[in-house]
Amino acid sequence: MWTWGHKKKRELRVLYAYVNSGLELNRRRGTGEHCLLRSHPRSWHFKAFRFVFLLTALLSIFLCVERLQGQTNEAPDIKPVPVLSGSAGFITTFDGGDPHLGPIVTGVLLVPLGERWMMESRGTFESDLTEPQGVSGFHGKVRKEVDYAQLDFIANPYLTVTVGRFLTPFGIFNERLYPVWIRNLQTDPLILPIGIGPSNASTGAMVRGGFKASSEFNINYAVYYSALSTATPVNSDRFAGGRAGVFVPKARLEIGGSFQHLLQDERSNLFGFHLVWQPQSLPLDIRAETDRSRRGSGYWLESAYRLNQVPFWRDELRRTQVVARMQQFFVGALPSDALPTENIKMFEFGLNYYLMDGMKATASYGRQFSVGGNKNVWTIGVTYRWVVPLGRGGN
Amino acid sequence: MAKRIILAGLCTVMMGSCFWAIAQERKETPSAAAPAQNQEAEALAGGSSHGVATAANHGGETARVLDENAMRIEGEKRFRTNCGRCHMAPHKFPPRTMAMIIRHMRVRATITDEDMRLILHYMTQ
Repeated sequence: MWTWGHKKKRELRVLYAYVNSGLELNRRRGTGEHCLLRSHPRSWHFKAFRFVFLLTALLSIFLCVERLQGQTNEAPDIKPVPVLSGSAGFITTFDGGDPHLGPIVTGVLLVPLGERWMMESRGTFESDLTEPQGVSGFHGKVRKEVDYAQLDFIANPYLTVTVGRFLTPFGIFNERLYPVWIRNLQTDPLILPIGIGPSNASTGAMVRGGFKASSEFNINYAVYYSALSTATPVNSDRFAGGRAGVFVPKARLEIGGSFQHLLQDERSNLFGFHLVWQPQSLPLDIRAETDRSRRGSGYWLESAYRLNQVPFWRDELRRTQVVARMQQFFVGALPSDALPTENIKMFEFGLNYYLMDGMKATASYGRQFSVGGNKNVWTIGVTYRWVVPLGRGGN
Repeated sequence: MAKRIILAGLCTVMMGSCFWAIAQERKETPSAAAPAQNQEAEALAGGSSHGVATAANHGGETARVLDENAMRIEGEKRFRTNCGRCHMAPHKFPPRTMAMIIRHMRVRATITDEDMRLILHYMTQ
């Protein structure tokens, strides 16, 4: 029997449950209907991140005071000049037999402001030219984007404060390996969109740094907060997170983890782990990353071997690098625009030839396995990196 | 509850690491400064006679050259260890350009203060 007492108890239970889950419950007068008003901005996740952020800020202030006299400029007798750097590439991809032409030009502007400040920005112009049916020639639009535009303040040897639009430090690929002249294989890892936001960047503030924790290892960290921005193409999600890594110089090994809490939509947590290892005895790079989120999970494992140690054709082979990558993606519980819509397994093999300083030719073959159909992905291209000083004394 | 414990643990580890780093640096500073002070003291003490002063200057110059070489070797090592994680071969640029690139990479790659100085020294020689 549905009595007032039962109703009241149920109401209290529901109220308790919602309050505990960080949500507010309102009872509409007269109808007795319960409705969800809005997400509570003071959930424990929010408090926890606020606590971590404040703790880091307090620690930073302490370290600022502690190390105020410590030198932070690179060398007192060398004044940095503004620099325009960047890269250009032309990558042709055959994705399941369909040709795509991908010209890309990226410019990076670095401007020093005194001894402790720096402004840096990166803009990208790229296109994906395809051959539409019934039309001759390749057609496509040029996409223009400001990847990041940030102001950095080097507070002390342990800490740098960054504000503006910055590359989201989740995992290692987006922030460190994304430019075409740095990456070993020209295709993106399948899990790249996890944790980096809708346009690969965040809008907000970040504290980061690296320091020698002992004679055996260094620690690097980044803690950030991003606000919601819906202005395309500089849109970003509202989230907070951090990344920390331990680097052992003697072993040339870095292991780290990333964490992010989405402060909108489903308010989920994202996790990532990465590894970079360069054995001392071999010209071999091993990189791996795994990410987990409610919209998808997966991993990639890449190894690149420079043929320095081959005893014949030394001049040619020392410029040659062979690459292999294995990756897998698993669809999550929630849909995503940026991630694949089905489980995928992919193997790739690549060959890079370093023609001259900053210029390389690249080619790769990949086989993708999925429920929707298997396909081959071929790439071939050339990339080039340049640096132009913009001040007197730069040359 | 478990998440809170993990979070508290992470905060503790982070704070502990920072304090440890500061403590390490404080411990290392006197020993690192001592040889330089001793050299200066020896040079000052030997300044009474011309011959001794010349020998001291000569010794100081040799020490400086050795120090430069040691820094260059260490800088190359640090370059290969840190920069080699993403970049293939050492690219050298003019000193003021290199200073800007190093400042950028310090923020981007979170390299340490000491590594930054040694790499800049190596890349500008």
